Amino acid sequence: MRKTKAAVLLLLAAALGASAAVAATITVLVRETRIRRRPQFYAPAVATARLGEKFDAEGPENGWYKTARGYIHESAVTAKRVRVDSAGSVGGGASAEELTLAGKGFNAQVESAYAAGHPNADYRAVDAMARRTVSDAELLRFAREGGLAAGRGEDR
Amino acid sequence: MRRAAAVLLAAALAGCASMDAAMRTATGYAQSQGLISESQAESLNKSETALRRGSQDISESEEYYIGRAVAAQILARYRPLDDRDLNDYLQEVLQTVAGASDRPAIYGGWHVQVLDTEEVNAMSAPGGFVFVTKGLLERVRSEDELACVLAHEVAHVSKKHGLKTIKAARLTQAFAILGREAAKSYAPEQVSRLTEAFGGAVDDVVDDLVVKGYSRSKEYEADRFAAEYARAAGYDPNALKSFLKRLESEPARGGLFKTHPSPAARLAELGRLEPPPGDVGSAARARRFAAAMRSL
Repeated sequence: MRKTKAAVLLLLAAALGASAAVAATITVLVRETRIRRRPQFYAPAVATARLGEKFDAEGPENGWYKTARGYIHESAVTAKRVRVDSAGSVGGGASAEELTLAGKGFNAQVESAYAAGHPNADYRAVDAMARRTVSDAELLRFAREGGLAAGRGEDR
Repeated sequence: MRRAAAVLLAAALAGCASMDAAMRTATGYAQSQGLISESQAESLNKSETALRRGSQDISESEEYYIGRAVAAQILARYRPLDDRDLNDYLQEVLQTVAGASDRPAIYGGWHVQVLDTEEVNAMSAPGGFVFVTKGLLERVRSEDELACVLAHEVAHVSKKHGLKTIKAARLTQAFAILGREAAKSYAPEQVSRLTEAFGGAVDDVVDDLVVKGYSRSKEYEADRFAAEYARAAGYDPNALKSFLKRLESEPARGGLFKTHPSPAARLAELGRLEPPPGDVGSAARARRFAAAMRSL
């Protein structure tokens, strides 16, 4: 009886592990990322996911996680367990991912102190640079016109 | 006890991605059966969350803030070129090759800025901040060459070459402060110590970017991945070679010539590169490249 119970537990734990390998909870680790209709970077976006949002997902396969709403690239998320309490605090020994979600570590507070001590550092020019971006639609037009990979196929 | 061992063994066999969930299942059961204490369970659960040790443990958001400070230091040394059309064109090419890289999504997005200097150079700060000088652009002959130059910078960021130049002692100092602190914001004394470590980390990256240059192996790796990203985006990776061949015939003077291996050495490392299938859109690329560079 004892052997049977141990075998069941063994199988249960292994089964849990096996299913978790393809079905995971992923957490967004970038400020925002597109959820796409297909696992391609220029496929139409169906929604935008933001920092800290969690999704049940399968994969990754060829760099993409599949969620109920669409596909998210693996570079935008972590599949590790992350714990941040409702006040945004993380405990000692927090992982890099937890620090990102809590806005801790080297953060805006540290940047302010650094900027105050380094008046030559041109943060105004950095902010102007960081505002420069190209929309999905414009990038697709650019790719199609130039015969680039993103403009080919069925990415419409 | 054997049951607990069996469960823990199964958890260990279940694979890295599921280790966390399986370990918690196992320790939860073992604790409920009185086989291990609460503190032992907590210890087992925490063991897979190792304390941060090196540059590989710098978080996405920390990389972003280090990159902003490095970018701010670069922009203190070089004046940004105020040419909206040219910067926007480079931004389109940058996002195209970054989208084909293995790090298309990055905390604050990818951004490029042209620097108003005759020095021939291109640099990238962690977090996706890319810089190209006017002097370099004057030596680029096609959009495909430009894409390869930008893809080389994307590769430096994607492979975290900048972060790897930060001295371990700086991170040890910062991680020690962070490891003990659980509050949402830092006390003034902690901010002061963190800022000291942060400033040191920024100096380390700027020193390698502007003064010493990355190691030869990092430059060769960036070339290899640049060719890969450019080709995946639909550009001809051989354009990297045509650009390097042009540089080879120039007298070496500062900038990229000081911080990178010689163009001849880079060409030898690159070897043969496969062009993308077909030659679609090259006429349109040539037209828009000529239009964008007209202001130089």
